[in-house]
Amino acid sequence: MTELSFEAAQKELEGIVERLERGQPSLDEAIALWERGEELLRLCLARLDAAHGKIEELAQRAESATPFSEPDR
Amino acid sequence: MKVEPLLYGDRKVYSVAGFNRGVADWLARLPTLWIEGEVTELRRHDRWASVFFTLKDPADGACVPASLPRRAFDALGLGLKDGERVHVYGRPELYAVKGELRLRVLTIERFGLGAHLAAIERLKAALAADGLFDDARKRALPRFPRRIGLVTGNDAAAKRDVLTTVTARFPAARILVAETLVQGPRAAAGIVAALESVAREDEIDVVVLARGGGSFDDLLPFSDERVVRAVATCPVPVVSAVGHEQDTPLCDLAADARASTPTAAGKLVVPDLAELRGELARAQTSLAQSVRRAFERDRDVLRRAHDSLERGARRALERDADRLVSLRDRLRRGPALLVERRRAGVERTGARLAALSPRATLERGYAIVRARDEILRSSAGLSPGERIEVELAAGGLGAVVEDVRE
Repeated sequence: MTELSFEAAQKELEGIVERLERGQPSLDEAIALWERGEELLRLCLARLDAAHGKIEELAQRAESATPFSEPDR
Repeated sequence: MKVEPLLYGDRKVYSVAGFNRGVADWLARLPTLWIEGEVTELRRHDRWASVFFTLKDPADGACVPASLPRRAFDALGLGLKDGERVHVYGRPELYAVKGELRLRVLTIERFGLGAHLAAIERLKAALAADGLFDDARKRALPRFPRRIGLVTGNDAAAKRDVLTTVTARFPAARILVAETLVQGPRAAAGIVAALESVAREDEIDVVVLARGGGSFDDLLPFSDERVVRAVATCPVPVVSAVGHEQDTPLCDLAADARASTPTAAGKLVVPDLAELRGELARAQTSLAQSVRRAFERDRDVLRRAHDSLERGARRALERDADRLVSLRDRLRRGPALLVERRRAGVERTGARLAALSPRATLERGYAIVRARDEILRSSAGLSPGERIEVELAAGGLGAVVEDVRE
């Protein structure tokens, strides 16, 4: 499950939502789909949180460095 | 002018002044003549307007006083001395104050001059035809002669003038003096011998032929054909300094350079050491200046090139830095933006999922009932006493069927 990429997870999640919205799956099926959807949602959000944290960390590190000091005269 | 006598009865009497005037008038009508004689008692003085002398007949001693304007006398340039034979062109006049007869002179020629002059002119033409006086034959004088030959008379003046001038201008100069007779019948042969012997000496680079001023006769040897040819064929350049400015003996024409006086000859053959030192100092100064100027010019060019290089590099650097800053900002904003957009998408999908949740239905008071792990949609098939599972919005319960309705 952790091998699933964000894009694949998102795509599957959207597919589940569309099926739930559109069709009349059996209740058992609907519940199974829904549980799967919840799982995928958590996965996507976790991936986004991780990415956000990584970006913040990198930005902070870059900010503390001084890449554009004036050349000596 | 008419002279009027006084009358004493029938006797005409003239005053002395009137008599002198009358005689003077008569004399003035006589023609201008050539008279031959010997110059004696020559008296010339810078303060006097006229030069006076007595013209004497060498045969019987007869004399006549003579005078001519000093300026005319000097212009002749004859250098006359007492005892010289001359031809005088003039006419008689009366010096009225003293009642003395005197000769008013227009010009003087040294006796026999005409014959000499004609001979010299003939020789000059012949030598010119031989090409002896051609400009093309003139050799340049050496700038720094190793040794200078000086051919001169043993009389002091000319020799001293050359030596003094040369030594004063260039103390290191070496001079070989060859003395010779410079006037009289044996002078020409002597001059030729001296010239040839001095020119043969080692390191002689130039020869000066010098003689002070003298009468026309005195300078005659320097127009002798032997002397002129010896000057022309001398193996080293010859400077001729014979007589005064107005004299032009033929050796002057054959020489490589002509000096008006022995002093001028001295100036021609050696450079002036003091002037030379000055020239060198000036050359040194201007050399240093031009080197410094060239150096400064090059330095300015380099400095400007360096400045513009630095400005160019700085501008390029700033442009690159700006681009990097903008890229950096976009780099940093990009992923965050992407994350936010994705999050918004995911959250919308999440909201839709939540809306579809079966639990939402349970929240409204419905329950899911299972029997034998199957969701019940009908009571058919159920029997009283059978166990069923009820799932609610919150929690669930197990129950037993009491009765079954159709």
